[in-house]
Amino acid sequence: MIEVQNLTKRYGPVTAVNAISFTAQPGQVTGFLGPNGAGKTTTMRMLTGFMPPTSGKAIVAGYDVFDQSMEVRERVGYLPENVPLYRDMTALGYLMYIAEIRGVPNRRQKAMDVLERVALVDRANSRIRTLSKGMRQRVGLAQALLHDPDVLILDEPTIGLDPLQVLELRELVRELGRTHTVLFSTHILSEAEQVCDSVVIINRGEIVAQGSPTELRSTLERGGRVFVRVNVPAETALPSLQSLPVIAHAEAGMDGIILTPADASADPRPAVARAVIANGWDLIELRPLAVNLEEIFLELTRVPEVTAVEPAADTTPESEAMQ
Amino acid sequence: MRAVFAVFKRELALYFRSPIAYAVAFAMLLFLGILFNGNLAQAVQYNAGAMQQGGQGVTASDLNLAPSVITFLMFLIGPLLTMRLLAEESREGTIEVLLTLPMNEAAFIVGKFLAVWTYYTILLLLTVIHYVILANVGVPDAGLAFGSYFGAWLYGGAVLAVCMIWSAITEDQIVAAFLSAATVLVLYLADTFAASLANSPNLANAAEFVRELGLQAHYGPTLANGIIRAEDVVYYVLFIIGALFITTRIVETRRWRA
Repeated sequence: MIEVQNLTKRYGPVTAVNAISFTAQPGQVTGFLGPNGAGKTTTMRMLTGFMPPTSGKAIVAGYDVFDQSMEVRERVGYLPENVPLYRDMTALGYLMYIAEIRGVPNRRQKAMDVLERVALVDRANSRIRTLSKGMRQRVGLAQALLHDPDVLILDEPTIGLDPLQVLELRELVRELGRTHTVLFSTHILSEAEQVCDSVVIINRGEIVAQGSPTELRSTLERGGRVFVRVNVPAETALPSLQSLPVIAHAEAGMDGIILTPADASADPRPAVARAVIANGWDLIELRPLAVNLEEIFLELTRVPEVTAVEPAADTTPESEAMQ
Repeated sequence: MRAVFAVFKRELALYFRSPIAYAVAFAMLLFLGILFNGNLAQAVQYNAGAMQQGGQGVTASDLNLAPSVITFLMFLIGPLLTMRLLAEESREGTIEVLLTLPMNEAAFIVGKFLAVWTYYTILLLLTVIHYVILANVGVPDAGLAFGSYFGAWLYGGAVLAVCMIWSAITEDQIVAAFLSAATVLVLYLADTFAASLANSPNLANAAEFVRELGLQAHYGPTLANGIIRAEDVVYYVLFIIGALFITTRIVETRRWRA
């Protein structure tokens, strides 16, 4: 369990993380989603006790990260962003070294167990420098699992992996999520959607939305805007679609037409499809506008051209709606 | 303690796998061997006459050769052995994992220091071969030899501890090495500097203070001649503890700066 309350980190005049609050539940994978430089790594470093917060409070596995740092460190497994490893050690040697510092009993056995967990037993005695990026990532993950931590904090674990490795790692994270509290950061939205039970979206050090991926999506779909594309120019199709009774407003955009329904609870798509056919056009595409987190995310983290005096102002109503 | 031992073991093993440690050992032994050979040849020649008249053979003045030369060379050996120690952990980011393990910084620093000091001790002990050779051609003064080796051991520890401070401050090994070398030279030359200060009668006390601060003043006149005084031992021990304390603090502040 991770509970974060008003956590803030300032580097001199720069506020990297600004009074964020969220909770990561046990038995769930909580996605920590945001573009590069949003404050994900800084937050994770504060949660693991690597750096102290400027203000605010965080409780990890039942202990305060600042006042009870050692207790927290004993219960947290951490995979830092760039997976720092000793390149001249073997995978097994490295794990045994970390296990020894941690005081894990039976450390050779334990190290082999976690290597098996990440499917790397056959490379146990290879020097880390000879391992591929994906394998190193798994050694890093094995390191985080050595002491059976309650909480796992993984900073962009899928970065730099090939597609197959990404799939394997996501599967592993999902599996770990069933028994641990997992906080998993990523800037890839489809990944958060696939892996996480709950998502916290952060941008410029502030939380812009949080909830389950489904909740987030349905909230954004509630407006029910529909995107349609036909084989004639948008200007030609626009007037007749605009005149449909189910449509309140139609505009050209995104290489097609964006329709706002008159009644938010009714699906306008059947009527639109019929109108397209009746006009003798070919229907190329017809879908709800916000179908994936990419689009949701773009909406949420859209940076205003001129930064407002209060940058939070334009996102607050949305994040409230999310909860 | 468990963590100190774990860090110590890994670091020491690393010295025996790293080319730089062997290069330092090789260069040092070669240099000392040549010096010793020349010194011994000279002493044998000088003493030959005395021997014929029933003298004892080679005089004891050769015994502190290796330890004394090593203490002088510490401005090279120290930086070379320590520059990697902490700078590399910062550069590679491995320190981020270590500092999130349930181990305090002091354990980590002490483990590293003990490893480099042990490696240095082994280097120092390799030169005991000179004593063995001397014992075959004369009757060396064992007390003097012990005093000078014991002194060089403490002296080396103090230098290595000071060099670690720079390795903690910078991520760049070369920068750490140069700043360490400069610091050690200043500490080595403190008694020379004190001597020039002493020329001015008003600064006699300051000169004495500077002299006592330096590394040489506690080695050259005393330990190197087999005189083991508590104050010199205490000086080196406090020096080591002080330097390790500073290093620990610097690593801790990394958290706040990172």
